[in-house]
Amino acid sequence: MRFLIALLTLTPFSAVAYAAQPEAGALNFQPAATRIMERLHGFHTYLMIIITLITLFVLALIIWACVRYSRRSNPVPRKFSHNTLVEIVWTVVPVLILVAIAGPSFSNLFYQENQPDLEVIAESSDDNPNTYPEAAAEGWITIKAQGNQWNWTYSYPDELDDGGYPVEFVSNPIHRQLSGDEQSYVDATGRDDFASLPKNLAADFPLVIPANRYVRYQTAASDVIHSWTVPAFGVKTDAVPGRLNEGWFLVEEEGTYYGQCSELCGKDHAFMPIEVRVVSPDQYNSWIESMKAGEFEAAFDGLPSAQAQTASTDVPTDAETRLAQAQ
Amino acid sequence: MAMDQVSTAHDDHAHDHKPGFFVRWFLSTNHKDIGTLYLVFALVAGIIGYTLSGIIRLELAQPGIGPLTGLMEFFGYSGDQAIEHAKHFYNVVITYHGLIMIFFMVMPALIGGFGNWFVPLMIGAPDMAFPRMNNISFWLTVAAFIMACTSMLIPGTGEFLGFGGGWVLYPPLSSATGHPGPSMDLLILSLHTAGIASILGAINFIVTILNMRAPGMTLHKMPLFAWSMLVTAVLLLLALPVLAGALTMLLTDRNFGSQFFDPSGGGDPIMFQHLFWFFGHPEVYIMILPAFGIISHIVSTFSKKPVFGYLGMAYAMVSIGAIGFIVWAHHMYTVGMPSDMKAYFVAATMVIAVPTGIKIFSWIATMWGGSIDFEVPMVWAIGFIFLFTVGGVTGVVLANAGIDHVLHDTYYVVAHFHYVLSLGAVFGLFAGWYYWFEKMFGVKYNKTIGYAHFWTMFVGSNLLFFPQHFLGLNGMPRRYIDYADGFSTWHFWSSMGYAVTLVATLIFFVGLIEAAVRRRKAVANPWGEGATTLEWTLPSPPPFHQFNELPEVKPETHH
Amino acid sequence: MAHDEVKHDYHLVNPSPWPLIGSMAMVVMALGGVTYMKGMFGMEAGTWWLLALGFAGIIYVMVGWWREVIKESRGGDHTPVVQIGLRYGMILFIASEVMFFVAWFWSFFEFTIFQGARVGDTFDASNPLYAEALQAVGGQWPPQGVEVFDPFHLPLMNTLILLLSGTTVTAAHHALQHDNRRTAISMLAITIILGVCFTGLQVLEYAHAGFSYDGTIYGSAFFMATGFHGAHVVIGTIFLTVCLVRMMQGGMSAKKHLGFEFAAWYWHFVDVVWLFLFAFVYVIPYLVMGH
Ligand code: HEA
Ligand code: HEA
Ligand code: CUA
Ligand SMILES: [Cu+2]
Repeated sequence: MRFLIALLTLTPFSAVAYAAQPEAGALNFQPAATRIMERLHGFHTYLMIIITLITLFVLALIIWACVRYSRRSNPVPRKFSHNTLVEIVWTVVPVLILVAIAGPSFSNLFYQENQPDLEVIAESSDDNPNTYPEAAAEGWITIKAQGNQWNWTYSYPDELDDGGYPVEFVSNPIHRQLSGDEQSYVDATGRDDFASLPKNLAADFPLVIPANRYVRYQTAASDVIHSWTVPAFGVKTDAVPGRLNEGWFLVEEEGTYYGQCSELCGKDHAFMPIEVRVVSPDQYNSWIESMKAGEFEAAFDGLPSAQAQTASTDVPTDAETRLAQAQ
Repeated sequence: MAMDQVSTAHDDHAHDHKPGFFVRWFLSTNHKDIGTLYLVFALVAGIIGYTLSGIIRLELAQPGIGPLTGLMEFFGYSGDQAIEHAKHFYNVVITYHGLIMIFFMVMPALIGGFGNWFVPLMIGAPDMAFPRMNNISFWLTVAAFIMACTSMLIPGTGEFLGFGGGWVLYPPLSSATGHPGPSMDLLILSLHTAGIASILGAINFIVTILNMRAPGMTLHKMPLFAWSMLVTAVLLLLALPVLAGALTMLLTDRNFGSQFFDPSGGGDPIMFQHLFWFFGHPEVYIMILPAFGIISHIVSTFSKKPVFGYLGMAYAMVSIGAIGFIVWAHHMYTVGMPSDMKAYFVAATMVIAVPTGIKIFSWIATMWGGSIDFEVPMVWAIGFIFLFTVGGVTGVVLANAGIDHVLHDTYYVVAHFHYVLSLGAVFGLFAGWYYWFEKMFGVKYNKTIGYAHFWTMFVGSNLLFFPQHFLGLNGMPRRYIDYADGFSTWHFWSSMGYAVTLVATLIFFVGLIEAAVRRRKAVANPWGEGATTLEWTLPSPPPFHQFNELPEVKPETHH
Repeated sequence: MAHDEVKHDYHLVNPSPWPLIGSMAMVVMALGGVTYMKGMFGMEAGTWWLLALGFAGIIYVMVGWWREVIKESRGGDHTPVVQIGLRYGMILFIASEVMFFVAWFWSFFEFTIFQGARVGDTFDASNPLYAEALQAVGGQWPPQGVEVFDPFHLPLMNTLILLLSGTTVTAAHHALQHDNRRTAISMLAITIILGVCFTGLQVLEYAHAGFSYDGTIYGSAFFMATGFHGAHVVIGTIFLTVCLVRMMQGGMSAKKHLGFEFAAWYWHFVDVVWLFLFAFVYVIPYLVMGH
């Protein structure tokens, strides 16, 4: 039993190199890249144990009843149809289990939902795994992801160029399964790495954010509903026309992280991936400066490439261990 | 025509005179015939829905867009154009798969089919309260199905045919922005029609159950299947009109310039989701409660024991129905609701696990101490209890908004709802089918074929849907025609599972044909002492009009 | 047992063509509706005859079906237990109608009360696509430029008319129960006239509306709610008129007049919906946020 659960939770992490993207044959979440997701890993493992036990319990009862009370082993049925005690037990025990679920559930929910108060955090001591005082001292980075049929427009409302316009660019999918895919990628970027990029996950120009900074993201849409998500971050927020939804996360490790549009948005719904490049603060700063200066291609060419980033990163510790380390 | 022979003389019917073919099957006012019509209809719609799911699994068996491009090339498109058409067609396929399975397979079979057949028989009534209205419920369902199928073939958006926006019909993808063509309008009218049919059917069931129980049968002595239909009918009656309202707003938004869901006029697309799920969540219980009722009878019959905790079972269904109305926004955790609202919906949703647990444990307690015969319906019922539990507990995982932020709109959700629907409601459907087959059609089926059907289906559908949990956890989004390479392993196995269900479905039809050809005469009660409800007191098949003299329910013979 | 004679009071209805014809008419009407709205099967948008054909079919079925019901009732099929069933049926039908109106009230309340949740931070104001709408509805209800009705003019009058008609229909019922046919007929006639007056005033009011259905969400929500109510008033009026005709033909007795009772229930339902509309759509927004 224990072993099974351990197997279930560990397999994905033991799989080859680090990449926050789907793994062949994986059984569980992608590795966590944010504290939000780390907590969800822990909570999900907890839930898995509970529901596995419940299911096995039900299975065991069924099997026992089938064996013990089959016509062969019990030719004469008993006639009882009430037993107040067990009825109370099987009402009260589930209630208790649910209460035990609700506790961590709410605390995780509010952790992700409520944008942290950076000023308070900056003042706090740093032995709390849920907060990052040093990052908090530097304030928010705000990004906006607008879903369009079928690409994402990213903008940095706080990063204005000389003309007073925010840094903004369109992130196009590079796979649409059409014959001209590679050509349009080369035309747009001038790069020759098309063949090496992960299918249906890579974008021509990724969202760029610095590691170890509090990021506030906003989602919006220009036509139909889309949904902006990065599984490794534990965030998913619908991009609803007319609305501006908000969320936050903080990524500790540099790397390339992938997500995919998660609300049916029409023909190319499967082809509007989300690629997030988490880079060092220095790289981020020079990137944003080039962007402000209007040197679009140079800005992106200056970033470490996606393959380099995924390959160079060590196998990360799994959520469990990191949780333990943090505590 | 029949309208001229309006008469008050009941004697016409008293001698079990069946009307001629056309009058009997097209102008029917007989609950058993209408029930049969519903079952045949559900079978046809089920085959179509099942074929559509085959297209899904075929396409997803391997990464890339293969089979559907081939199909589009067959229809005369070429190159990139074939691919673009394939992409839209995939969305159309999943949309109509969902809609057909729900509105034209499960609901007609469980409610229209078994409900019509057995509610009157079980409560000792000669027919439904409004036999003629009963028939229009059926024919409107057919009308709705014809409209839905037609809407698949007319322009949806641009050059693409059919509506490809998911069974949940979210605007703006379903409004003029996303699908300006006539397809969506016809689909809306189709669902209006299906809704009217269900509302009329619901009224019929409630009135029949409240007004036509046999003398001596109080509500607290009524068989649990009738209870399940009563609760289901109330849910239908209260939930469907709200969907009708939302659909009407969508229709006028599309055609007459209103702006309910149009943000550029100050409207709000999220409001549609609230209205839809206010219907949609009760809808999922509408699909499962009749199965709950069927399972109770089967478990009790073959354990040769009365249902454990009868009243608890009845009121568990009532409370599932009631709570079902206040949990709808658990489908909307990612739309940007305030966090305390999410917290409320988390709590409310999880509460449903309690009455559902009461049902699961009471079924097991019914088996406990019994003398169990593992007849074909019983193995389906046991399969149901276990597989529904698997689907139910993953529902509890999804109910936690925090986790749902990761799992929403992934295959984890697909796995959850197929466990409760395809391995829950449909297993209940087959359990009922094998339980009542001989009663309805008067012939026996081959048990070996029945067992073979069960085991292949059991293996196949678990192989089909269990790996989808892994896909979902690892991030595979729903409604995707193509996926990242990492997902291919489990998609492959899932499609293999479909192949196994294909064998199962063939076996099912072999069993049907075998029974039809052999025509072994069925007895009134094949199940022996455990089968205590009134339908087993009648011959198989029952006379055209039963209970001309109402049965008396004595105080001790209950449920 | 099958050959026994019938020993119960339930009504086993003869086979009937109406359900099948009605459903076929429904398909025609739906296809006609889509053809009218979008154009289909090579017909231009705006082609109305297919829709009209389907609608005529529905009307034909309704007339034929209900005539059959009336005949059966006269023939004695509506025994006491069947009457109870019919009563339950009508109540449940009205319950489903109530839920239908819930949808309109839901949209109106959402736009009125949850304004705050939809504007401000959560509104995508920087997008030119929606900026105009934000201008119009942002933080205010009714939206900018919408001149709402003064509830204490025509709407109040309409409220009084409907309330009065509720009393007259009850008076007609009492008279009928006491076999006072002449009073019943005149009271019912007055009810119908009041109903027609209501519809007339409503049309007048619509004609003077300072906003339109396709203008803003206010217009959409207002006309949808009051419009569907108006449609129900018209249906109720027709229902009452049928009862009046039947009564004048001597068709309703002091003991048995289900059709009339149902019409009266329906009328009261329409009445209550109006009171809610008056309170929540007309008066409260006017007092709290209006001009
Ligand atoms: C028959 C249909 C059916 C049934 C019965 C259920 C039952 C439940 N469902 Fe499911 N659901 C669907 C059909 C159904 N669902 C569908 C179709 C969708 C997707 C719609 C779409 O988006 O297309 C969906 C989606 C869905 C979501 C949204 C996911 C998302 O889109 O992100 C959620 C979230 O809360 C949810 C929760 C639940 C819960 C808590 C139950 C509970 O009722 C389950 C209760 C049962 C048990 C828990 C098992 C037995 C109990 C015990 C053995 C007792 C002990 C147990 C505990 C203490 C836990 N469902
Ligand atoms: C009752 C509902 C129901 C049932 C039974 C099924 C059955 C199946 N479904 Fe699904 N499905 C949905 C409801 C259902 N489904 C819904 C609502 C969606 C979401 C749509 C959306 O995203 O908008 C969906 C989506 C969906 C997807 C996700 C598509 C995507 O997101 O891209 C997939 C993928 O594999 C899938 C597969 C299948 C398969 C292989 C089967 C089956 O083949 C499994 C085997 C089942 C059978 C063999 C039963 C066949 C029954 C009969 C033949 C009738 C018998 C009748 C009588 C005896 C009277 N379905
Ligand atoms: Cu954008 Cu799906
Ligand atoms: Cu739900």
